[in-house]
Amino acid sequence: MKNKQTRLISLAVLICGLVFSGCDKFLTVNPPYTQDAENYFQSPEDYEQALIGAYDLLQGTFLSVWISEIASNNTIAGGESVNDTQGLHQIDEMTHGGVNTELRNLFRWNYAGITRCNFIMENKDNIEFVGKDKILAEAKFLRAFYYFELVKFFGDVPLIINERIGAQEVTEIERAPVSQVYAQIEKDLLDASLVLDQVSLIKGKATKGAAMALLGKILLYQKKYSDAANVLDEVINSGTYSLIDDYTDLFSVANENNSETVFDVEYTGAEGGGYGCLICLEGNAGPGFQGIRQYDGPIYGDGNSYNLPTQNLYDAFDPTDPRRDMTILDIDAFIAAQTNPENITYGIGAGGHTGYYNNKYIKRQNELGLPDNDLTSPVNYRVIRYADVLLMSAEAHFQNGNISEAQNKVDEVRNRVGIETITVSSIDDIFNERRLELACEGHWFFDLVRWGRAGSEIEGFQIGTHELFPIPTLEIDLAGGNWSQNNGY
Amino acid sequence: MKHLLIFFVAACFVFTNASAQEITVSGTVSDEKQQTFPGVKVVFANTTDGVVTDGNGKYSITTQKKDGLVLRFSYIGYQTKEFLVADQIELNVAMETESQIFDEVVVVGYGSTRNKELTGAAAKVKGENIEKLNLSRMDQALQGQVSGVAINTNSGSPGGSSSIRIRGLSTFGDNDPLILVDGVVYDSEGLNALNPNDIESINVLKDATAGIYGVRAANGVIIVETKKGKLNAKPKIEFSMYKGVQQTANKLGLLTAEEYAVIKNEMFAFGGQSMPFVNTAIGEGTNWQDSVFQSSPVESYNFGVSGGTKNTRYSLGATYYAQEGIVGGSKANFSRYNARLNLSTDLSKKLVLNSVFLFSSDNRSTLSENGIGSVLYNTINAFPNEPIRTPDGNYSYLEEVADIINPIAQMENSYNYSIADKFVGKEELVYKFNKHLSFTNRFNYNYAVVEAKSFSPLAWYGPGKYANSALNAELESPLVEIADSVFVERGASVYEQRSSFSDLTFESYFNYDRTFNEAHKVKTTLGASVFQRKGAALNGTAFNIPNNSWDYADISANTATGGYLNNVGSFEFKERLVSAFIRAEYAYDSKYIVSGILRRDGSSKFGPNNRYGLFPTLSSAWIVSEERFFNLDAINFMKLRLSFGVSGNDQIENFAYRALLNGEGVYVFDDLIVIGTALGRAANPDLKWETTRQFNAGLDLTMWGAIDLTTNYFIKNTNDLLFQPDVSGVIGSYGPGGSSPIINAGNVSNKGVELEVAYHNKPSRDFKTNISLNFSHITNKVTSVPEGVDYLPGAQFSVGGDVATRFEEGFAIGYFHGLQTAGVFQTQEEIDNHDVVQEGARPGDFIFIDQNGDGEITFGDNLDKTFLGSPIPDFTMGFALNLRYKGFDLGANVYAAIGQEIIRNYERQQPYANQLDYVINRWTGPGSTNEHPRLTTGETRNTSFSDYYVEDGSFIRLRNIQLGYSFPKKSKILRKLKIESLRFYISGNNLVTLTRYLGFDPDIGGGTLSAGVDYGFYPQAKTIMGGLNIKF
Repeated sequence: MKNKQTRLISLAVLICGLVFSGCDKFLTVNPPYTQDAENYFQSPEDYEQALIGAYDLLQGTFLSVWISEIASNNTIAGGESVNDTQGLHQIDEMTHGGVNTELRNLFRWNYAGITRCNFIMENKDNIEFVGKDKILAEAKFLRAFYYFELVKFFGDVPLIINERIGAQEVTEIERAPVSQVYAQIEKDLLDASLVLDQVSLIKGKATKGAAMALLGKILLYQKKYSDAANVLDEVINSGTYSLIDDYTDLFSVANENNSETVFDVEYTGAEGGGYGCLICLEGNAGPGFQGIRQYDGPIYGDGNSYNLPTQNLYDAFDPTDPRRDMTILDIDAFIAAQTNPENITYGIGAGGHTGYYNNKYIKRQNELGLPDNDLTSPVNYRVIRYADVLLMSAEAHFQNGNISEAQNKVDEVRNRVGIETITVSSIDDIFNERRLELACEGHWFFDLVRWGRAGSEIEGFQIGTHELFPIPTLEIDLAGGNWSQNNGY
Repeated sequence: MKHLLIFFVAACFVFTNASAQEITVSGTVSDEKQQTFPGVKVVFANTTDGVVTDGNGKYSITTQKKDGLVLRFSYIGYQTKEFLVADQIELNVAMETESQIFDEVVVVGYGSTRNKELTGAAAKVKGENIEKLNLSRMDQALQGQVSGVAINTNSGSPGGSSSIRIRGLSTFGDNDPLILVDGVVYDSEGLNALNPNDIESINVLKDATAGIYGVRAANGVIIVETKKGKLNAKPKIEFSMYKGVQQTANKLGLLTAEEYAVIKNEMFAFGGQSMPFVNTAIGEGTNWQDSVFQSSPVESYNFGVSGGTKNTRYSLGATYYAQEGIVGGSKANFSRYNARLNLSTDLSKKLVLNSVFLFSSDNRSTLSENGIGSVLYNTINAFPNEPIRTPDGNYSYLEEVADIINPIAQMENSYNYSIADKFVGKEELVYKFNKHLSFTNRFNYNYAVVEAKSFSPLAWYGPGKYANSALNAELESPLVEIADSVFVERGASVYEQRSSFSDLTFESYFNYDRTFNEAHKVKTTLGASVFQRKGAALNGTAFNIPNNSWDYADISANTATGGYLNNVGSFEFKERLVSAFIRAEYAYDSKYIVSGILRRDGSSKFGPNNRYGLFPTLSSAWIVSEERFFNLDAINFMKLRLSFGVSGNDQIENFAYRALLNGEGVYVFDDLIVIGTALGRAANPDLKWETTRQFNAGLDLTMWGAIDLTTNYFIKNTNDLLFQPDVSGVIGSYGPGGSSPIINAGNVSNKGVELEVAYHNKPSRDFKTNISLNFSHITNKVTSVPEGVDYLPGAQFSVGGDVATRFEEGFAIGYFHGLQTAGVFQTQEEIDNHDVVQEGARPGDFIFIDQNGDGEITFGDNLDKTFLGSPIPDFTMGFALNLRYKGFDLGANVYAAIGQEIIRNYERQQPYANQLDYVINRWTGPGSTNEHPRLTTGETRNTSFSDYYVEDGSFIRLRNIQLGYSFPKKSKILRKLKIESLRFYISGNNLVTLTRYLGFDPDIGGGTLSAGVDYGFYPQAKTIMGGLNIKF
């Protein structure tokens, strides 16, 4: 009996021992058929694939375009109600604070883009292959693009390059001064411009021209006028770009990638999407959001009435300027001009109504993506077009005292739309031209800010505070609470 | 030692008084099977004279003679017998087992125990109580049956799931308990497959004694046992069936067309827009609810045989169940076939084989539910002035709002099904070395194959509707550009997925149970378990299905140009768990019980840094009523229990400790989609399980032989919550397909009191009553949140609106947070004189309370927002009544949840959306109302999330009432038909619900942070059924 029990106990011990000795091996389960972040970058394809991932975040730019217009005196937020995308309404009214979903998305998305670039840079020395320099140059261009968004919106921001960081390391990182961030952006763009092709055979890829034009813009933002003039003139003198004849043809899908395109964010309507994840979309969410609310009629599709141009913007145009009607859709006038106006209806959102719609990026019936087609417009966002380069060059030259160069550039822009030239006698003339040419394209708020004019142009704008947006409060908390908030928030 | 002393003193006392007049009683005690019964206590009441029967059941006891001497026989688990003795006699006694709940066998994991000896907080529900409710799912039937277990319906649609919460919400993630069916792991989503008719009993382990299941036990454990046969029993054949009609229990009060027109005119006028209705006298209009809700059938047929021979027990059965939806009818239906075999046979004197085999095949079709765009959402918001069909026969377009579509058309275009075939089984060999020691080896499996298909026809709901898949009303296909200027048609599509899941468990354990010297009882379980779960799926979408028809909806029928539209996907996963466990229990004199559990788990869910965990539990019980000094006549049984222990929760996604490249990196080059790679969820190599520490103190009582009472007090603290909280955006994990790492942070505490009372009485042969009542009160509180975070945001209110629920320290999980109102501004003067600046306020707008006292209501931040309620009830109650008089039986089952709030989030804040009829009482001018605000299409803060949208969700529901008649056993009819018993009944479910909640149904489930947020919930049906049970 005793013997039997001893045997049993040894058996029990043996079973338990067996169970646990083989454990570690048994419990090491690898995810089937899944590439791991740590064993990637083994082939040139891996680099190319990762680069596509880094480009992906460009598609979140629609949000930055919204904010840059809504914050300015060009447009109001609009939408279904004042609670619909509240963050935009607060920015519209200059009552925004550290709790703002839209600003937080912008912060997160751009850092996601930077991290994807850094992921490539972190592994840049893994293997050698022909064409790697170009991939790295594109990654640098993208990183510069994302950092520029951040520095423009938030001022000092944490500067992380060439590595990924974890939750613990974030708490040890300070906000880097604007100058330091700009220095990195300049370096990245300069590096990229030395490697990238003047013209890319693949539509949508960053080019040397794109890098130089963006560099010129960044120099201009820093008021480095002579450097800016040099860089921008290099773009102009490259001969790659020219204005297209018809301004009204600039924003259609059909006329994408024309001679005026310096850099576009690429979108497609070939993939459906939903409101659940706007950053996951492959289409441009802007046109649908900016579409005519509950519209039932010809040409346009119906949308959500966001980002509506103001009377102030409408009145800024000379009635003979064809850019007015290309930029702004006067909905009632448009309906009245149709053959059967009584059959055309549209609605008014409780988020605001001006009677005007953003006609550059608007949902049109011949440019619909797959469902939900409010979100999947194939219309590219024009980040930098040649007219912008010309006007930036004009501004830089004027500030350098080279007024005739400035005059030439402004003339070129005005001539294209066939309106009278103006005599560029003050910087205001160039500023005004910038507004008319580029309204609703996501530049105006930051133009006003860098010129120091936002205070007088934007209702509710407090000088000394609203030049920058607040760092999202939660982001300060999550980074350990050590960062100071921007002034006045 | 103390007891020995008492015994010694008592013995001396007996001897010293030997000379006084004495009486000696002797005899034999036997049990129900007429076998001698050793160890029975024999005591003269109110004396210290007592003995215990010897090995042959014999006793002899002597005491001083006096009047009214009562000799008491007692043994744990048996009814105490008392006899008046006057003279020296021989008294032979037959003991009878108690029929009360404390004698029942409770399954506690790798073994069982008698309720009387249980040291933990566990509850048992008998299968008949589940079966009786005629519900499709066992968890729905569990609602209100056990204290401390909250069951909420996630969806009332046929086959819809419930959420099961044992002792409150304790985690941010998966709160489902571990469910074991005959020892086989069953996930709560898959409970659809389980047939309530097959259930013998359900045991719920609520406290730390569930720790025998270690890393998976923190949310409690539900152990389901299926029906078994009996040895030496003739085959017993049973047939039961019922058929019923379901209807919606509730419809909302919505505006009629005329009310709608008047109110919309006013809204538009307030918003500075032209009034949409020239003529408002347009009558009742369309009642969309009447068209959407319908009567629908439910039916069930169940057949079973059970019995046994000398060495084999068997029970087998088959069931068919079918239910159609009260919304959608056959488009939202559920049906299920079940087959079951439970076989147990003695292969030899020492070797027993237990075999369980459960097969199920269920088939479910669903409609879009619970959210914007769902059928009920559209039904509520559809315009009453529009007909269902226009005179040309087409469905009306409801043109004014892009995201409200005709719900009837929507149902018509909904085509899908999912079929799950599931095999669950167990093969178990028990070797009995001797009376005390057994060795069990078992192999459990759970294999499921799920086949799902959904068809998206080309559909047109009107211009600009989000749900359009066709280009126009002629149902032309949209075109997709696949290369420069190359277009292909994108027609009707079908999505199919085939997936298979398999769980395998091998378990091996020893059970040892022995009583030494009649007083020292030792019970031990020692074992090990290995578990693996695997799953794989393959799916595909095909386009251009011929004829835009469901008849051809199969991937094989696609006619799309190959390679451009059709796409495929797949996934695979595997997880493993290895465990060893020991439980040791010692009981002294059937009075003092101490039990300890230790379990070690290794889980593949966690990385090498934290793969193994150790989970200890200690519990004890004191059966006070067994003490000699205890002689309260009113109390037959009394037990005190204490337990404390640690258990874990590993319910997270696989591979969460690693950084994967499963993010989305998709861009467009040359106008074509290019797919790259991107970082997915960030890594956390230090990830580990949540830890729950639970203390339980309990008291069990039986009084007057008729009332059983169980009460528990518990403190359950869950630490290191598995979280996927926000992390700093700088880490870069918020790109498409990316997410923050899962970390361990935050603590939650649940404290509560549970009470269960059961009364059973049989005053006469013909009359029997059973009444039971249970009550739970739980206080849930978040005791810490991750460092650097003030709160975690939960569900949103309305479209793109405020965050309405939060996970925040000091409050219940998912509490409601928003603006608080204090009436309505009546005049501009009132606004001007108001001491708080409220931007944009106009007469008729809410007066919001300035929570931070800065003299201003700020809408852009959270400073003026506050606690508005919680979705967690203050207390829940279940009440069951069973009366039997002669052949008639009456049963009722009531459930109440009191003190929870619900957010009314199914109303669309769209100018044209229809509204609930409470808006008739809107503010229309000074003095009109101080409760409801004005209505306007213009800018207003009245639609910001405030207490106006939070309602009292308390309810009391008559879940079931049933009246049955059983033919007398000896009636001629039965004898003629050779039927042993025959019972007919009528029964009603959810016939009465008392609530002030305005929505369809206050019994709302949902996720941890979306609990109590009503998105146009599919309500539970009201059902009237008739059925019969026959036994042969």
